Amino acid sequence: MSVAFGLLAAVQLIAPDVARDVAWLGWGRVRYAHTQGIMLGWLANAFFAFLYHGVPILTGRPVTSARLGVWIFALWNFAVMVPGWVLVLAGVSQPLEWAEFPLVVDAVVVVTLLLAAIQFLPGFFRRGVESLYVSSWYIIGALVFTLLSYPMGNVVPEFVAGAAGAAFSGLWIHDAVGLFVTPLALAIIYFVIPASTGRPIYSHFLSMLGFWLLFFLYPLNGTHHYVFSVIPMAAQLSAIAASALLGVTVVIVVTNLTLSMRGSGVLPRDPALRFVSTGVFFYLVVSLQGASQAQMAVNQAVHFTDWVVAHSHLAMMGFASYAGAAGLIHAWQRMPEARYNARAFTWAYWLLTVGLLAMVIDLTIAGLIQGRMWADGLPWIDSVVASRPYWVARTHIGIVLTAGFVALLVGLTTGPRGAGLAVRPATAPDGPSEVAPRLTAATAEAS
Amino acid sequence: MSGSAGNALRKAYLVASVAGVAFFVLSVTLLGVWPTQVLEEQVRTMAPEKALDPTLSEQRGRAIYGREGCAYCHTQQIRFLATDMMRFGAPTLAWESRRDTPHLFGTRRIGPDLSRAAGTRSLDWQYAHLFSPRAVVPDSVMPGYPALFDGAPDQPRQDARDLVAYLESLGRARELAGPEGEARARDGCNCPDDEMAQMAFGGMLNGHPARARRGMEAPILHTGADLDRGRQLYGRHCATCHGQAGEGNGPGSAGLRPSPARLAEHEYSIERLSDVLWNGVAGSAMPAWRDHSSDDLSALAAAVQSLSADRPEPAVPEHMVELGATIYAANCVQCHGASGDGRGPAADKLTMAPASFIRQRVSLPEALRVLRNGVHGSPMAPWTARLSEGELVAVAHHVRSLYAPTPPGALRR
Repeated sequence: MSVAFGLLAAVQLIAPDVARDVAWLGWGRVRYAHTQGIMLGWLANAFFAFLYHGVPILTGRPVTSARLGVWIFALWNFAVMVPGWVLVLAGVSQPLEWAEFPLVVDAVVVVTLLLAAIQFLPGFFRRGVESLYVSSWYIIGALVFTLLSYPMGNVVPEFVAGAAGAAFSGLWIHDAVGLFVTPLALAIIYFVIPASTGRPIYSHFLSMLGFWLLFFLYPLNGTHHYVFSVIPMAAQLSAIAASALLGVTVVIVVTNLTLSMRGSGVLPRDPALRFVSTGVFFYLVVSLQGASQAQMAVNQAVHFTDWVVAHSHLAMMGFASYAGAAGLIHAWQRMPEARYNARAFTWAYWLLTVGLLAMVIDLTIAGLIQGRMWADGLPWIDSVVASRPYWVARTHIGIVLTAGFVALLVGLTTGPRGAGLAVRPATAPDGPSEVAPRLTAATAEAS
Repeated sequence: MSGSAGNALRKAYLVASVAGVAFFVLSVTLLGVWPTQVLEEQVRTMAPEKALDPTLSEQRGRAIYGREGCAYCHTQQIRFLATDMMRFGAPTLAWESRRDTPHLFGTRRIGPDLSRAAGTRSLDWQYAHLFSPRAVVPDSVMPGYPALFDGAPDQPRQDARDLVAYLESLGRARELAGPEGEARARDGCNCPDDEMAQMAFGGMLNGHPARARRGMEAPILHTGADLDRGRQLYGRHCATCHGQAGEGNGPGSAGLRPSPARLAEHEYSIERLSDVLWNGVAGSAMPAWRDHSSDDLSALAAAVQSLSADRPEPAVPEHMVELGATIYAANCVQCHGASGDGRGPAADKLTMAPASFIRQRVSLPEALRVLRNGVHGSPMAPWTARLSEGELVAVAHHVRSLYAPTPPGALRR
C-alpha cells in the first residue's frame, strides 16, 4: 500500500492531472500516506513481527502476554494505520514531515508504543543487563527513546510556532530515523548475522561502542535539516559536527558487521543474510552521504533537491527495509507453519536492489542538476523541465520496486509450509533455543 | 563471568544508560529548547511593534495549504544564502513565522519558495494557476485544484479565496513594516558583527524575478534578435495566455481580468516591450521575466513584434483629426497624459498604469473595441455613454497618431 502511494505520487510528477478530479488522491495527500505508511505501516509492523521471534530468544522467556500482542496488533493496524491513512487522504492531517498523521492518531501511537514496551522489555531486565546482547540494547533503546521522541516531533510543533517549531521538527525527523528505525534495523542485523552464520559477532566491544555512540550522537543531528536558517548558528553547527561524528560511528558499526559476515561472500545464499549483507552496505553509503550532506558546502548545493529524496530512499529502503525483510525471512525460516517461497525472495532481492540502485543514481543526478540550475539563477521552470526525464525514469523504476515488494509478500505467503526450515544454511542452529547461547556467548567473550 | 567483572559491567552500563538519557535531554535542550528561547527573544526584539496578524480567511487558507501538502513542494524559508536571496528576497527572520503553528518551512523545493508570495502574482493569475496550472505555466507539474472552484477559474469558492488570501499574506507583515520595521529589526538584532545575520537586512525584500514593478527603468532590449529562438520561447511562456497567434485567447486567458493583451492588434516599440518584459504589467496578471537573459528577452520581443497583424494603414478622414484631438484633450488626458505617454495627473493613483500611446500603437478595430467595452479589470471604462460613435472613431484615430517610438539609433542602452 505504502509503496503504491509512493508510485502514485511519482506518477503525478510526470502526469500531474491524473488525479485532477479526485481530491483524496491529490499529490500532497498521497505523499503523506506514502511516508507514514512506510515508517509505521511497513517498517514498524515488520519490526514488531521480528521482535516476537527475537525477543524470546534474546531474553530466554516468552513475551509478556499473547493477548497483549493481539491488542498491539489491532491498535497499530486498525487504530493507527487505517484511520491515519483515511484521515490524511480525507484531508485531516498535520503538515509535519514524518508526522503527518493527526494528533488523535498520535495519541494511539504513543499508547501502543507503551504497550509494546510492556510486551517486549521486561524480559531483558529480568535477565540482568550485564549479559545483554547488543540486539537487546538496540531494542530497549528504540522502544524507550521512541516513546520520548515521538511526542516531541508529532505534538510539540503543533504548539510551538515557526522556526522554533521547525527546530523540534528537525529533531524528530532525525530521531524517527535514528531512534526508531535504525536501532530496530540494527537489532535485526546483529541478530540475523550470528544466527545465520553460526559464528558470534566479530567484536562485542565494537558492537556496544557503536550502540552507545549511536544513541549519544543521533539525537544531536536534527538541526542539520535547517542549515542556513534563522535557527541559532550554534545549534546548526552542533548538529553538523554531530553528523560528521555519526558518520564515523557508522564506519565502526559497519566494520564490525562486515567482519562478522566474513566468509559468507558478497551474496550469501541465505536470503535473510543476503538482505542483511546488502543492507549493511547501503547503511554505510547512506550514513557517509548523510554526514557529508550535513556539511555546509554540500548542503548548500543539494538541499531542497532530489538528492535528499534519493538519500531518504536509500535509508528507509536500502537499509531499513532490507533489515525488515531479513528479519521476516529469518523468522520464517524457523517456523514450521510458515509458508516460504525461496524463488520469490530471490526475485524480491534482485528487483529491489537493481531498482533501488537505479533510483538512487537517477535522483542523485537529478538533484545535482536542480541544485546547479538554481545556483545559476536560471528560470525556475527550467529546473522542472530538466528534471522531467529523471522523474519519468524514477516512475518506471518505482514499478520495479513495487514488484520487488510484491515478490517479498509472495515469498512470505506462498510456497509449502515449513519450506524455510530446509533452506537454512547447514551451519545454522536448529532452533531458537540454540541460537540464544550463541548470541550470549559473544557477550561473555567480550566481558 | 566473575562476579566482580559482572558488577563492573553493570555499573558501566548504568553510567552509559544515564549518559544516553542525558544526551537525549541535551539534544532536546541544545537543539530544541535553547533555540526556542533565542528565537523568542529575537521575535520580541525584532518584530515590528504592530505586525499584522492573519485574518480568519488567511488562517483557513493556511489549513488548506497544510492539508494538500503544499509545503512538500514549496518551502517557506529563505535561507541566508546569496542563491536563495537573489531568487526570493530577504532571508526569513524568526518573527515572520511567529504565528505559524505548525511551521511550514519545508525541506524540498519542486516549485519555488513562497515566503514572499504576497504581491508577487496578481490574484487572477493565482486563481487561474490554482484552477489549472498548465493553462498558465505549460511546463508546471503542480496538481490543479478545480475542487476549490465552481467549474471556472473566475468562479473561486470560499476555499480558493481563503487559500489565495493566505498566499497573499506570505511575507506581507515584513513588507508592511517598511523601512522603520527593518530598522527596528536591525537594532533589535544588535548583531553588527554577525555577517550572516546582516544578510537579512539591506537587500531586496522581495526578490522574485516575476514580480511586476511599476515605474522602474528597464534596460532596452536589442532589436534584430534571433526570431526562431523568440518564437520558441513565446510558445513556452506566452502562448498559454496570449494565444499562439497573439489574439489574447490562450487557455490561461479564461480567468484573467484584464484579459491578456491582444499582441497581434498592437505595434509595440522596443521600449515598451523592454519595460513589459523586465517589469511586467503591475495590476494585471502579466509577470516580469527578469530570470531570463537579455538575449532571450530580446528574441522574445522580436517574436512579439512579428505577431503584429499586417494591415493597410487606414486613412484618417480630414474632419476627424481635430475632433479626435479635442475629445482626447477633454476626456483622456487625466490618465493617458496630454502627449499620450500614459502619465496624466491621475495616472499614479490608478491600480494599473494607463497605456502609453507613444510607445505602442493599437489597431483601429482594437482601439474601438476598448473604447466601446472598456477594459474589464482595469480602470478603463466604456465610453459609449459619453461619446457618440463618430467621436469614438475620431479619438481612436487620434490615439493611433500619437505613436512615436524612439528611433533605434537614439535608444539608451
